[in-house]
Amino acid sequence: MNHWTPELLSPAGSLEKLKIAVLYGANAVYLGGQKFGLRQASDNFTLEELVEGVAFAHDRGAKVYVVINSFLHDKDLEELPEFLKFLEALMVDALIVSDLGVIATIKNHCDLVIHLSTQASCLNIEAAMLWKSMGVQRIVLGREVTIAEAGKIKKASGLEIEMFVHGSMCMSYSGNCVISNYTQGRDSNRGGCAHSCRFEYSIDFKNTEKESLKSYFMSSKDLEGIRLLPEFIDAGIDSLKVEGRNKSHHYAGTISKVYSDALNFYKSHGHFLSSDMLMWEDELRKISHRDYTTGSLVEYADENSIYNQREHDDNEYTIAGIVLESRKNQYLLVDVKSAFLLNDNLEIMPFNGKISTLSLKFLKTISGIDIIKSKPGSVVKIPYAEGVERFNLIRKCIKNDVAGFV
Amino acid sequence: MKLIIYIETTKEFDLFLNEFDNQFECEVVLGCIELSRYTKTSFEDLLILINIANKKKIPVVLDWDILNLESRFKKSIAVLEKIPLHDFKAIRLQDPGAIEYIKRTYPWLKVQLILENGNHNLVGLKSWRNYLGEQCDKLILSNELSKDHLRQYASSLDVPIEIQVLGRILLFYTPRLLLSPLDKKNSEAAFLEAYGSSEESPHNGFPLIENQHGTFMFNVKDLYLLDHLNELSEANITNVRLDLRFDSLFENHVKDLIRFFKKDISEKELKIKNDHIRPMIKGFYNVNKTDILFTKLKNKRIQRNDEYYLGEVVDVERNNQIALLVKRDGEIKENIKKLKLVTPEGKIKEIELKWIRNSQHEEVNSFTKNEIILIPFFRGVTVKTQVYLSSTT
Ligand code: SF4
Repeated sequence: MNHWTPELLSPAGSLEKLKIAVLYGANAVYLGGQKFGLRQASDNFTLEELVEGVAFAHDRGAKVYVVINSFLHDKDLEELPEFLKFLEALMVDALIVSDLGVIATIKNHCDLVIHLSTQASCLNIEAAMLWKSMGVQRIVLGREVTIAEAGKIKKASGLEIEMFVHGSMCMSYSGNCVISNYTQGRDSNRGGCAHSCRFEYSIDFKNTEKESLKSYFMSSKDLEGIRLLPEFIDAGIDSLKVEGRNKSHHYAGTISKVYSDALNFYKSHGHFLSSDMLMWEDELRKISHRDYTTGSLVEYADENSIYNQREHDDNEYTIAGIVLESRKNQYLLVDVKSAFLLNDNLEIMPFNGKISTLSLKFLKTISGIDIIKSKPGSVVKIPYAEGVERFNLIRKCIKNDVAGFV
Repeated sequence: MKLIIYIETTKEFDLFLNEFDNQFECEVVLGCIELSRYTKTSFEDLLILINIANKKKIPVVLDWDILNLESRFKKSIAVLEKIPLHDFKAIRLQDPGAIEYIKRTYPWLKVQLILENGNHNLVGLKSWRNYLGEQCDKLILSNELSKDHLRQYASSLDVPIEIQVLGRILLFYTPRLLLSPLDKKNSEAAFLEAYGSSEESPHNGFPLIENQHGTFMFNVKDLYLLDHLNELSEANITNVRLDLRFDSLFENHVKDLIRFFKKDISEKELKIKNDHIRPMIKGFYNVNKTDILFTKLKNKRIQRNDEYYLGEVVDVERNNQIALLVKRDGEIKENIKKLKLVTPEGKIKEIELKWIRNSQHEEVNSFTKNEIILIPFFRGVTVKTQVYLSSTT
């Protein structure tokens, strides 16, 4: 029996990540063009890449949503119609926007579906009704909204509802932080956020003699909602969004694979009582993340949602490479993303099925010279492995690495 | 010029009335802790303040500027229903839910729309204004807008514009309680105040507040535009707001400020600028370059951009070969033997191919999209070089 599940919406920070997300199971991806989006640091898509990305996703039944969620200025709006016409011709599936000026411009120039970005901080039923009257078809709710509240908003408004299920979180109500504007001269609502909320602050309480306290009090833990998939489904949430257009290929592939595996399990079984649940959680711990929290998904986020640590990288795994070509019974061509050795602990992530270890009998340059260490930015040959396909990710366990030896 | 001022206590109202005697237009903003972001006025005190205003015939506006999660929304409405709304000239709203609710439930009540978050384009401002129709009393705009934009908007909109000209600049608003976990002893306090400084930021002493609505952070410098009132008035920006709610500003300076608005004293005679505990700035009033200063991190030269695109260099073996990930099907004809290569540094090289091989080193006459092909080595070509069919062919 096929049970209903929400759409899994993955980030696509680049064309390559789009392909990885779709192949690893995302039902939809969201991406930004060269302008108008908030993630200026991610690669973003040129017009040519948009054409290729949309075709790739559509050929595989996945949808593409284009993010236009900066707070746009008058001049930007003048340039927007041309881009809208292009996107309409491409038949992208929706635009994600946060500004009423953008909504009005879209409605004047094309018939594309409009999703309201989380940047607009839509938090209640009445707000959803307002946006509905403005022509919005789907609302990406603020991360402060619980699943139960989201269910009520959906029921009362009749709109499609999208919620974040995984990823980094802004500590502020989205769109309500201008720290970077005033401290760094960079508009955080136009892609210039300097992440000042991740800094350590010394806090002096007013009217006390107490010494200053040092704290990362504004830094939020990351959201993880895999255990709450039943609640999302019960509430009828239409789309589960993963944050992270700036994140790695490893991240794009892993979250797409883990969440789609979990949702597919539900699709066929109608429950999540899978022995794989621990494995899925384990996989989510292998990608770059801060400590996880369920944020406000069940109850409003409390002090346990504060990360209160310096940002640090203690990843156990890193991406080693991406398979470019598979020559049956001969070799795999791998685009090396980070250096690995012949005898490193490597694992291959198939699009379907379990992750398995990969031991290398040889490691060669593309012209066939034996090497013991690959270097990033090169293409190498490793032994052929049955079932391995183009765009499969190869990752490396680094937890036992000693700095300087890799 | 109309003065907009928050009053939070009867003592403040007395101080205000001691000096103000209707010599200029004024609007008093009243709120209560349930509806306003950071007032300390209780619901009971709000009712007293309304009474005073009525007696003195001072126009008052109700402040409902919090963002409302669904559960909070119900509480807000319950409070609102107990407030004599007919005593107010208008209500100030930011949450689109509150706007929608007031529009539907109290169509006679004028709305002052707080559009201080974003809303940096005229199309959007006009859309908000049209959405409210006759109910729209004014638009309260962002202090990130420069005077040129303000002037343009004021001349294009048919409702008044209000901006803040004095007081704290709000930087950050979260519903999460971030201070009380640090001060367990006082964690039950309804209103915590602190200052935050970071070694990672050149700025020190960000004022912080925590109350039942969450945590708020303000800029280390306060806004001061009182020396621009004539300019604003000429630009048809006729509503200017003073926020004296913090740092004893009301107590210490309201008298002076009213005298200034009465034109009894000049701006130069105001003591506030010198007395204030934090420096004062003009913010983005003169110019806002926050999006110009931010340069895109992406190297434009490694982005593909035209119809002759063939692919990208993924490996270079010095003096031997270059590996190319091709992005289109092709045959080895004359026109494919000439290539244009654009390196990440922007250098352009035109080259002629002697051979093309597949990854097994077999010479090939055609290739397919997404295949790796090998071409001879050319000096200066690095990984991520973009490869185009020579446009002359
Ligand atoms: S500084 Fe932090 S809270 Fe502010 S916009 Fe950036 S991520 Fe969000």
